[in-house]
Amino acid sequence: MQGLQSLFLGAIDEERQRVANRRGVLTGGAKLVAGGAAALAVAGSPALTKLVAAQDFESDVDVLNYALTLEHLEYAFYRDGLEGFSADDFDEGVYDNLILVRDHEGDHVDTLVSVITDLGGEPVEEAEYDFGYDDAAGFLGVAAALENTGVSAYDGAGASIESPDLLTAAGTIVAVEARHASYLNLINGEDPFPAAFESPLSPDEVLEIAGPFIVQ
Amino acid sequence: MRVMTKMTFHEDLTAALQKASASRLSRRRMMGGSLKLAAGGAAVALISPAAFGFRSAVAQDFEGPIDVLNYALTLEHLEATFYRTYNDEFGESDFGDYDDNVYSRLVQIGEHETTHVDTLVSVITDLGGEPVEEAMYDFGVTDVDSYVATAAVLENLGTGAYTGAAQFLIEEDELLTAALTIHGVEARHASYLNFLNGEVPFPDSFETALSPAEVLEAATPLIVMVTEMPDTGTGPGN
Repeated sequence: MQGLQSLFLGAIDEERQRVANRRGVLTGGAKLVAGGAAALAVAGSPALTKLVAAQDFESDVDVLNYALTLEHLEYAFYRDGLEGFSADDFDEGVYDNLILVRDHEGDHVDTLVSVITDLGGEPVEEAEYDFGYDDAAGFLGVAAALENTGVSAYDGAGASIESPDLLTAAGTIVAVEARHASYLNLINGEDPFPAAFESPLSPDEVLEIAGPFIVQ
Repeated sequence: MRVMTKMTFHEDLTAALQKASASRLSRRRMMGGSLKLAAGGAAVALISPAAFGFRSAVAQDFEGPIDVLNYALTLEHLEATFYRTYNDEFGESDFGDYDDNVYSRLVQIGEHETTHVDTLVSVITDLGGEPVEEAMYDFGVTDVDSYVATAAVLENLGTGAYTGAAQFLIEEDELLTAALTIHGVEARHASYLNFLNGEVPFPDSFETALSPAEVLEAATPLIVMVTEMPDTGTGPGN
């Protein structure tokens, strides 16, 4: 997993340096998922065991707050970012789909906040972020990286959920994240489904990836 | 009961799937797509549903992880066979109305499904179970438009099936994670194929979690004959 993480972190750095470079930005997501087959290998492989063992959430609320942290990041990214663009900045149809993605992330945030509250937990709040893009191409590159990371994060955390209902609920979100990732890869000129398996990431790995976006 | 469960799985096939396929096709045509009469799923030769005649057994309650994995494998067989068949029947030149790389994407998806089959067979075997075998199918595909429309139906169905079944692996962390890594890829396929069909790649904020019974009802009309009826109930780990 370490190799995979380094690969992705490197790709993110590279990506942020290349925000001005149209259409060249997505490699992060693609590289991330390229390791997926290896990560799955066969259930029971030491790598997967280690991955699963690395989860140290103390409750389902912890897992949900972890998910909420990422959903906040995503929603803020689209909500604020799309205000700076119009349909003309993208290929035909793309802007409308980005609006849809934004609304999905907003729904995910609202739902997670509500469920965490119902469970007696304290929902984490939105932070301040710096996504480091400065044009539409850069925006699309970061969008793809976020969505691909989101899928890996949910896949890595799923096994920590103890309630079947909450697991199913998380499953209904991760599939939509994967749909977003596929589409965003595609419009970035990348492979929508780069490997036969997703690549689960541990919370530590995800935080290292997402951390640079969080300024406060 | 065990056999009934398997039989039921193969029994119920396609009304839902045919309807969905037909509606996608008609929408595609309305959007200026092909005027070809794409009979699609409508012409599926349902070989005597009565032969499989009981619909009462509902495969809701898996008796163990091997059952869940075999449920997944049944769907992966369906998908893998589907792409193998039509990627062989059609070639790049048949996709002239589509973007350049559609055929290669379909080949790629087919490879993923085959990898899923191989992996599930291997895991089920390692666990001491008996992997279900490929059946014979009739997808009613007549041209590339109906191929692409049916592909979207299958991938969306598969995504819903994994979403609904994941909870049955909750006691098996490694198997659950493995299933999730397949689930995401099915969703990626579904997104792309929706897009290809001129549909929204991600129609809702939340995926619909399908129960095994719902999946069976949708998938059964595609399975025209069961080549073998493995007994998965005797192996350890169930």
